[in-house]
Amino acid sequence: MAAEAKPDEAAPKKKTLSFTFPFKETELALIAGIPAALIAIFTGLPAVVKGLGMLLCLLWGADSVRKTSKYGLGTGVPSIGLLGIGYGIVGALMGLAVASIGSTALFGGVYPAVLLGAIVMGGIGYVSGYFANKERWIAMKIPRLERAMAELGMAGSLVMLIEMSIITGSLDFSEVVQWVMNTGVIAFMFILSSMGMFHPYNACLGPDERRERTLTVSLEISGLICVILGFTMLVLGTSAWGVWDPLSLIVFGLVDWVYFYRRYIMACMKECYATVGTGLIKTID
Amino acid sequence: MQIEPAMFLIVGYVMIGGALGSIAAHLCPVGGAPAAMGTATGIATGTVQILLGAVVTGLFTAATVSSFTSNILLITISGAVGATIMMEVVMFMANILYAFGCGVLPISGRVAVDPITKAPQTAYKTPQTDGHGVPDVVFVSGILGGFTGGFGGALIYFTLLYYSNFSYGTAVIVALSIFVANAILAAYNVRGTIEGFQDPKFKKLPNELIPSIVVSFFCGLVVLAATIALGGL
Repeated sequence: MAAEAKPDEAAPKKKTLSFTFPFKETELALIAGIPAALIAIFTGLPAVVKGLGMLLCLLWGADSVRKTSKYGLGTGVPSIGLLGIGYGIVGALMGLAVASIGSTALFGGVYPAVLLGAIVMGGIGYVSGYFANKERWIAMKIPRLERAMAELGMAGSLVMLIEMSIITGSLDFSEVVQWVMNTGVIAFMFILSSMGMFHPYNACLGPDERRERTLTVSLEISGLICVILGFTMLVLGTSAWGVWDPLSLIVFGLVDWVYFYRRYIMACMKECYATVGTGLIKTID
Repeated sequence: MQIEPAMFLIVGYVMIGGALGSIAAHLCPVGGAPAAMGTATGIATGTVQILLGAVVTGLFTAATVSSFTSNILLITISGAVGATIMMEVVMFMANILYAFGCGVLPISGRVAVDPITKAPQTAYKTPQTDGHGVPDVVFVSGILGGFTGGFGGALIYFTLLYYSNFSYGTAVIVALSIFVANAILAAYNVRGTIEGFQDPKFKKLPNELIPSIVVSFFCGLVVLAATIALGGL
């Protein structure tokens, strides 16, 4: 069992017991953002590839939530994840509205204009971050909050666009309204995607929180979202490739969930023995 | 392209709805984590969760009413009533749990005398806590908060449904998103917990109202651009 990891031997090399994450925050934003943007444009891709894009996007969002929330928001971590997805839905609306501009039917559909939604929400996120940080207004005084909110707006828009593209197989506004909005699928997309962003840090925060371990939770939730989206596709029958497309997404989601859930639990068990105590909670007087 | 009055109404109503959402966040009794232990006044959860619950109920009633009428007052006020009922039920149940479960009195921690009923507060407050439960003045404030929030959410919903001509589902989810963004900015302004209009933190409302109006204005512009691009006007 992993918990019996020979404490006296392992103590000096604690960090080497578990895996580390190879990318820094800015690198992760680029590595996740650019492929996700490409996957959002090409709607003819198989659902598994789109699922991978959604996974990268949620990872980016969860990282942004983490770097903002570690300074203490005062309202709980979920608020900023919901903010990201709230902006994401407005951005997805903007993107879908202009999707027909410059679109072609090549490669099963290419919609480059949808990225306008993500860019606009990046701008609005920056504005709200500016107001939230500025002394004259809300005065949160969190370093780089503007950038984090802009990233959340962009990541949220891309997540929503990719999920809509998974369900409908296209980003045509009337089809999205028919299969995503009017069926009510958007409701669980809203809450599950915000879960993917805020839950990792909300669950892992505290002494000895580690970025790698936190982000594993995001990857694991993405797997669960893939499974649910796969079942939705199967029920709605919207895939152009019959049942193999949703089934492959479900299998991908299950493998992703099992692998990262196991890895997260192993990491927790290996690292928990050396957690430093922070003392008792201070009383008021 | 011709300038039409509906364009100004879309941006204006989204702005008003967002501003009402942030006022609602300042009026609702939010206790946060301390209230979960019974050591602060208010409902034991975050601003966003309370406002999200209230506005979802409000949008549910507003959407039901909008299926047989297109009168703006009927739709917005039914949304407001739905959100108010949700807030009242939550505050009432919180009081029952605090009184019979924890054994604490509903007491405000911020005022010495209740401004409405003139009941003394400080004498009943447990030492080292910040009040408990939902006392009278906080209950009234919560009702006002629910009404304002539901009205704002339903106003955005009405705008999206009848001026932008989106479908019911699209209008509801976009109204919810714009409302939530404003409620979260308001939650950051009150730093997580607030009792209501008698709380000293309520005086910080103007600091947040301008950012909220600016962000709602941009969201309104996005909705307007989407409406024009889809030819919905």
